[in-house]
Amino acid sequence: MRVRARAAAVGGLVLAAALLLGQATAGSTRDEALPVLGSELGDFPAGALKPLAEQACFHCHSADMVKQQRLTEKQWTAEITKMVGWGAVVPEDQRAALIAYLFEHFGPDNDRFHPVVAKPLGR
Amino acid sequence: MLGRGGSGGGIAGLSRRGFLAAAAGAAVAAALPQAAPRRRLLQMNGYPIDAETPLDLLTTYLTPNDLFFVRHHWNPVFPDSAAWTLTVDGEVERPLTLSLADLKKMPQATATCVLQCAGNGRALHRPIVPGVQWTYGAVGNARWSGVRVRDVLARAGVKAGARHLHTFGTDKPPEKVPPFHRSIEIEKILEDGLIALTMNGEPLPQLHGGPARLVVPGWAGDHWMKWLDRISPQASPQTGFYMDVAYRYPRTPGEPGVAFKAEEMSPVTELFVKSNITEAPARATRGRAVTIRGFALSGAPHVAKVEVTDDGGATWAEALLGKDDDPHAWRLWSFPYTPKAAGRVTLRARATDERGSIQPKDAVWNQSGYLYNGWPSAEIEVGA
Repeated sequence: MRVRARAAAVGGLVLAAALLLGQATAGSTRDEALPVLGSELGDFPAGALKPLAEQACFHCHSADMVKQQRLTEKQWTAEITKMVGWGAVVPEDQRAALIAYLFEHFGPDNDRFHPVVAKPLGR
Repeated sequence: MLGRGGSGGGIAGLSRRGFLAAAAGAAVAAALPQAAPRRRLLQMNGYPIDAETPLDLLTTYLTPNDLFFVRHHWNPVFPDSAAWTLTVDGEVERPLTLSLADLKKMPQATATCVLQCAGNGRALHRPIVPGVQWTYGAVGNARWSGVRVRDVLARAGVKAGARHLHTFGTDKPPEKVPPFHRSIEIEKILEDGLIALTMNGEPLPQLHGGPARLVVPGWAGDHWMKWLDRISPQASPQTGFYMDVAYRYPRTPGEPGVAFKAEEMSPVTELFVKSNITEAPARATRGRAVTIRGFALSGAPHVAKVEVTDDGGATWAEALLGKDDDPHAWRLWSFPYTPKAAGRVTLRARATDERGSIQPKDAVWNQSGYLYNGWPSAEIEVGA
């Protein structure tokens, strides 16, 4: 499921996409049916951990970055450890649950990610 | 696969594909098979923006700016060209601050060369590794113009003992994410490094680092600093996450899936010899020639040949190379193929560069998924 950028902006996040959208070439002959690059964002799967995943991840990147991964539990643990070190807010007592949520949805057999076929921005 | 005149189902025949490639194939199939391919990018991340070019759009010598892959580490605040300056400091006799107008007054140089993300093809490594799951299209070939780094450094006067050029851009990381600070051996950047102000004849798009980015011919994209605002010759290499942990590649191959230690790796520098197949029909008829096309590139200035096999590499036949051939640019190739028998056939390609480096069947696995260059393939259903 995907949502429009504005709906997914959280915590006063200023999206580069918003800046970029203003640059789309006027009078473009490109296929108007496609979403403009950066305008469509992935969403985390429903579940009790979804709000925590959003809180931890959205400040720096959209859910797409997570959804395209196919990682083992060990790899997810390493990723979360790295991200917490870089400032992701994940309470210590919820870290294991978040890793389990990510592993459940985005483990090695994850085949649900599809890139957004997007309309290029202006030259 | 990806055939302008084919059914559009062929990319699903690419071996070694991940689900991402299958997704890309679905996108191709959605394009009208008889019409020009739809101008589009495959967006991997909504923000920061990461997007690759579908292979069926990488069929021209110069990749159009709007179809060129986009890779951002974090949400950039684009510099205002009018206020932007380039600082030159460090081990120099005369520190400088140069405006865009200053740079435009200097002698201009042009390089037509490939820009490829170090992680292009990451999704094809097995075992799977984390990171942006690029498949084939985090690569493009463009004509870059601007000022030679050596001309700028000559104005500043590099002191003896400066061995590395530290490079900085205006994009700032969020939270406690380490900054994207990098360095390049001074010999390389003095040889052919360029501060690009234009891309394919147009002002360098902000999306691609405008108003100025580094161009480092033959080297992976991590060296091509976008939104460049400071260069600083120093005695020692840059340190930090993006030098000491990321963008490192094993010196010798190991066992796939077993992570290399830091001391077993060196920084990613030159690109590896590589070809890709961009056009092949999904179906053909025995005895009737069809045309396979692609591109080939290398860290060596020139590609020497591209070969195609239909028997898994037992025998190879040489492809025709395109006439456009600039140092460190990619080389387009085509191959007239006449199927000898009915049934499903798998074509594979390999490139060889002028140094004699041959594209390997399998890329060297590494935990960050850099520099994938295994043989590409395309499957064709041959009718009687």
